[in-house]
Amino acid sequence: MRKKSQAALEFLTTYAWAFIVIAITIGSLYYFGVFDFSKYLPQKCVFPSQFKCLDFSLNPSEVKIKLANNLGEDIRVTSLQVTNDATSPISCQTTNPPFPFDWAHSTEKDITFASCSGGAYIAGERTELRIIMGYYAINTPSKPVHVINGKINGRVTS
Amino acid sequence: MEYLLVVALTFAIIVPTTYLFYNYSKESSQEITDAQVAQLGRSIVDAAESIFYSGKGSKTTLEMNIPDNIQSAVIIDGRELVFNMTTSFGVSEIVFFSSANLTTNGSCSANVCNIPGLANSGLKKVKIESVSTSSVRIEVI
Repeated sequence: MRKKSQAALEFLTTYAWAFIVIAITIGSLYYFGVFDFSKYLPQKCVFPSQFKCLDFSLNPSEVKIKLANNLGEDIRVTSLQVTNDATSPISCQTTNPPFPFDWAHSTEKDITFASCSGGAYIAGERTELRIIMGYYAINTPSKPVHVINGKINGRVTS
Repeated sequence: MEYLLVVALTFAIIVPTTYLFYNYSKESSQEITDAQVAQLGRSIVDAAESIFYSGKGSKTTLEMNIPDNIQSAVIIDGRELVFNMTTSFGVSEIVFFSSANLTTNGSCSANVCNIPGLANSGLKKVKIESVSTSSVRIEVI
């Protein structure tokens, strides 16, 4: 009887050791970011086709995007904001060109958000940012402001 | 132990694959909706301009497939056809500009006229008619 229980205990102890080793291995892999699958996703900039996103770059404290005005109308951009879903969202102090600015149809514009901070915007890390832009068509009499949202998903260069 | 290893290996393959495919499909569906709305708006405005220049009494009917993510469709100042489209990152206004004066049979508040039926998803018939020498009416029948 005693021999049987000793064998059972040794069997369970072997399993327990195996579990501990596996748990530590998985923990270490997680710590070093092996399970961060988002890094395998492509870097993307998604805007409605009327403002096609041609290029973007995420530098420390700076976000740059190149958009094309495919509306077929000259517009005036009245607001530009970059934000994200972090508890304390990213905030950029300045934009270049400063708004309001005019934007002719079928032309491209390089927009830079500078002095960005917060929102887990860290060099070397992957981030998802939302760009909110308000504009109106210069030739529409009542000049109603329209809002579009775009998304940038990429890695901040270090 | 062998059983656990097989289960662990299966999970190690399934979980990342599911995550990657889910993210790809989410972004793809966004781009498809955007393309559908762009095609929808462009078709309506092109038809309206064509009907306007054909003269009073001209009309046509378009069969359009309205995507799910459209919240509302309005005409502003008779020249802007605006679709409010919901995306995973907020509501965007997709605007189409017309050289013909657009009207509708829906309710109007100041210079904003709602196009009833154009915000409901599914296959719709859109009638575009030149009702006077100065305007084209858009209605869902």
